[in-house]
Amino acid sequence: MKVVTLRSDALAESEPLSGKPASAMIHIDRVSQRFQTSGRQSHLALSDISLTIDDGAFVSILGPSGCGKSTLLYIVGGFVSPSDGVARVKGKAITGPGPDRGPVFQEFALFPWKNVLGNVMYGLRQQGVKHSEAEAKSRKLLEMVGLKGYENFYPKELSGGMKQRVAIARTLAYNPAVLLMDEPFGALDAHTRTRLQNDLLNIWERDRKTVLFVTHSVEEAVFLSDKVVVMTRSPGRIKVVVDIDLPRPRKRAELLLDARYQKYVVDIEKLIDDTGEDEIHA
Amino acid sequence: MITPRALLQKSAPLLACIGLLCAWQVASLLLNTESFPTALEAIRAVPSILGDKESLVNIGASIRRMAIGLSLAVVFAIPLGLLMGRIKGVASFFNPLLMVIYPVPKAALMPIIMLWLGVGDVSKTLVIFLGVSLPIIYHSFQGGKAVEEKMLWSGAAMGLSSAQRMFRIVLPAALPEILTGCRTGLVLALITMVTSEMIARQSGAGNILFNALDMAQYDTVFAMIMIIGALGIFLDAAFEKLRGSLVRWSKPQHDIPLSFS
Ligand SMILES: Nc1ncnc2c1ncn2[C@@H]1O[C@H](COP(=O)(O)OP(=O)(O)OP(=O)(O)O)[C@@H](O)[C@H]1O
Ligand SMILES: [Mg+2]
Repeated sequence: MKVVTLRSDALAESEPLSGKPASAMIHIDRVSQRFQTSGRQSHLALSDISLTIDDGAFVSILGPSGCGKSTLLYIVGGFVSPSDGVARVKGKAITGPGPDRGPVFQEFALFPWKNVLGNVMYGLRQQGVKHSEAEAKSRKLLEMVGLKGYENFYPKELSGGMKQRVAIARTLAYNPAVLLMDEPFGALDAHTRTRLQNDLLNIWERDRKTVLFVTHSVEEAVFLSDKVVVMTRSPGRIKVVVDIDLPRPRKRAELLLDARYQKYVVDIEKLIDDTGEDEIHA
Repeated sequence: MITPRALLQKSAPLLACIGLLCAWQVASLLLNTESFPTALEAIRAVPSILGDKESLVNIGASIRRMAIGLSLAVVFAIPLGLLMGRIKGVASFFNPLLMVIYPVPKAALMPIIMLWLGVGDVSKTLVIFLGVSLPIIYHSFQGGKAVEEKMLWSGAAMGLSSAQRMFRIVLPAALPEILTGCRTGLVLALITMVTSEMIARQSGAGNILFNALDMAQYDTVFAMIMIIGALGIFLDAAFEKLRGSLVRWSKPQHDIPLSFS
């Protein structure tokens, strides 16, 4: 297993490695995030994070609760501007949200006044796609995430897992180059979770979007990712970046029996254990 | 197939009305004073009011002022409330102002307004507008403030500008709360309408009522109260129907208890 400990200076040099045509999609450069908390104190949520994510790479972030995973995702999304450092997408400094980066939030954040179809069509309509075209595309996406027949349901009428699937379809619909997924399968039952992991992998292997994926599941991270970023407890820092060197396309049934897969899982679990008194509150 | 229980639930308001009228009838027969006519006497006076052209013109003028005051309030209060809910600076500017205005009975401003603007439509409409605006501002403010931030972020990622987010995310997301404010506003509009006509006695439903009182036509007084009450019940029920169809997507809400003062 190749464990690369990242230091920001090392990263800056390691970028233009020739031979690999993969260009950097996201470049996070010495980003820190400090929050004002009540009582005139401040809390350092992220400290000196540097990370480069190649175009088309699937990168997962693992770390204890409260270590700043969501915050990092929000910074890349342009929803939060960092107190220090810059994040870039395709070389341009991120100053705000844009349709090139599609978020899937931990809290779903569906539009409750729109039905399932309306939610998925929203981004497409916003980008000026004709109604009939947007509808056809959205229906196809809904079928893909297993929600055929639920087009006219309102969010309040859906279970947590179904809402999550609508949220994923809604973001996929407007075809962002980067997917920012915050524990997208966290609320799902094991069965649906496995199915959606496979679906996401299929979509990714077809479209090769860049994915930044936050999860608490080591197995999920290893199964899906090219790289797994392990963060430490607060202040959130990058502890290690693990390259997952497993062949693609990946088949779950084969992978679970693969000794290399098992070793990645065990090794990363150990790394997380080392990061402190984690997982006390899950 | 309607179950007996559902039937009872549907007819409950009607039963309440009948019960009230019966109690009135019995009470007035027992008390037997001139200033408290029986329910039947009052009901008998209703057609003569509704049959009189001048009365109808008066009631029509009342409803028109109420509609104008209410519409102006809606157009003014919803945007203001939503902006207060979303922009801290706007809220900290208007909040203290509204806190001062809130407990002042708007009808108490009527004498001053009359002094400046006369006893005509403008004064009365203005008082209705003032009375109705506050609950709508307050509820729009609450609704706007409660809009989930991630929903706005999702919109921003899809490319909605901040103005578009205001119209296409904040407004619909806050709509259930806004409409709750409007319902309170509607009833308040009716109340302020009558009060304003009580003070500026020139025309309107309130004027009919108090003229009859001056002339000791007590059956007309009570008939007029019934007409205004029926108008309120009808408007409220109609608004509830509209509200229900506009926010069917929203979590089911319990009936809002309203003081029908
Ligand atoms: N808006 C905010 N104001 C103040 N503190 C914040 C804010 N957002 C996040 N924090 C703090 O920053 C830290 C990181 O939060 P974040 O939500 O990014 O963690 P996380 O790794 O996503 O946790 P989880 O796995 O539970 O989702 C936490 O300590 C949190 O209290
Ligand atoms: Mg989080």
